[in-house]
Amino acid sequence: MKRTGFLYDERFLLHDTGPGHPETSERLQAAYRGIEEAGLLSLLTRVEAVRTKIKWIEAVHSPRHIMRFEEACMLDMGEFDHPDNQMCGDSYDIALLAVGGILETVDRVMDGRLDNAFCAVRPPGHHAEPNKALGFCYFNNVAIAARYLQIEWDIERVGIVDFDVHHGNGTQRIFDQDPTVFYYSIHEHPSFSFPGTGHAFEKGTGPGFGYTLHSTILPGEGDKEYREALERDLIPAFEEFEPQVVLVSAGFDAHVDDDMSEIRLTTEGFSWMMKTIVELADKYCGGRLISVLEGGYAVQRLPELIQNHLRILMGMDVQ
Amino acid sequence: MFIDRSMTRNVVTVGRETGFFEARDLMEEHGFRHLPVVEEDGTLVGIVTDRDIRSAMPSAFLDVEEIRQERERISRLKVKDIMTRNPVTVSPANTIEDALLLIQKTRVGAFPVVDKSGKLKGILSIRDLVRAFINVLGIEEPGTFLCIVVEHKVGQLKQIVDAITEERISIGSVLVARHWEEGKRAIFTYLLTSNVTHVRKKLESMGFALLDPMKWSLDQLPKTRDKAPE
Repeated sequence: MKRTGFLYDERFLLHDTGPGHPETSERLQAAYRGIEEAGLLSLLTRVEAVRTKIKWIEAVHSPRHIMRFEEACMLDMGEFDHPDNQMCGDSYDIALLAVGGILETVDRVMDGRLDNAFCAVRPPGHHAEPNKALGFCYFNNVAIAARYLQIEWDIERVGIVDFDVHHGNGTQRIFDQDPTVFYYSIHEHPSFSFPGTGHAFEKGTGPGFGYTLHSTILPGEGDKEYREALERDLIPAFEEFEPQVVLVSAGFDAHVDDDMSEIRLTTEGFSWMMKTIVELADKYCGGRLISVLEGGYAVQRLPELIQNHLRILMGMDVQ
Repeated sequence: MFIDRSMTRNVVTVGRETGFFEARDLMEEHGFRHLPVVEEDGTLVGIVTDRDIRSAMPSAFLDVEEIRQERERISRLKVKDIMTRNPVTVSPANTIEDALLLIQKTRVGAFPVVDKSGKLKGILSIRDLVRAFINVLGIEEPGTFLCIVVEHKVGQLKQIVDAITEERISIGSVLVARHWEEGKRAIFTYLLTSNVTHVRKKLESMGFALLDPMKWSLDQLPKTRDKAPE
């Protein structure tokens, strides 16, 4: 069985998005309870969050963005950049803890104490752009982890797989011109889903052309189309790119019971997809994979989805 | 919505005596499909289109000697020999709506824009209209479409906009598609938010039907076109 890390910290629950907001702390509580009840906690290596150094945030975001976010929290503005981004006075500190926890997890995978890991963090990250918070995201967790791998661990090629049902516009923008980070995203077709980017014809620009790849799924489609897309797009792309580490933007909102989209991926569909991604990490990266939570709003489904996600990381059977 | 706000102003032009290859290279270099031909004082006398260029090129079925002769003939060609004379033009005072209807009627891909004295002021291509349409849709900003089917009667849109406003959601654009079902209209709202779950439920509870995204269409019109002029 693989040594799988599990980043979780109760302080992630303090990021308060107010009443009626879908990105709630209940998501994380439900996931944690699910892991506990399935008896998985004792099999996992727990990682606690630590506050990141600002320099790692600055590897992706402008100092001005970081400062504005800090100020908005200090002044208790309630939202940042967009009414979707509801937050509280603690949100800035929690976002720094989430990033720091992820980087700590990266260290443990890279120095061999862990084989792979799942980071159950809030707030999510993949919509955050260098200068803009968007779609409940403030700092781009996965993008920062990719830069950290390159700067601190001399990794040359990072592969990112983003299966949140929404396109990760922030991650795409950050690595748009960069041939050293391959960004693959599978999401609902942008004409039907936020944020309206991530068309199949967007493939990166300049030296980054060919290092961004999008599979778009139509409303009502599900397991079959995901399988076809991964086999047609992701598998050959990684075969060519040969990433040294895989980062996963793990959003669970493509689930059929999640009303954030019309995509109908089943729990089994998620398991097949994650197994496929883990196999790619085994093949090219010696298994090194760090998965980071993004969206997923069907609170009743998150326990089973995240249980399976962790079982697959550990190399256990999933029915 | 006047054309002079949407047209391209700094137009690359050629004269009647410009050589064929020079005109072709200019078009290739800039990625244009239309090159207005003007007198020295700016008076429009014609237009060279990519079609004019193609039809002047030698046929692929010639032998080597014939191709050599053809190329020599072409190298002597001037713009005036291949240009379309009296192209369909529009005036800066025409509207975008005029241009859309005229494109449908004439099947022309770009109109030189000329003033009353016949001088070239700009060019309006389908590309400019596409840009304007993208702007009107608002889709360069992050957001989510909803399609709401309503009875065709007064006051429906107000109820919808009020419901969206109560959710503190900004609207990027609203389109109303006609010729849908008998007595119905499809209202497309582009909402500048990632979070439409609640407003969707709210609209449904108000009795509005949200259309299955796979059935969305702006165009339920029969696809008839005016016959192009012979």
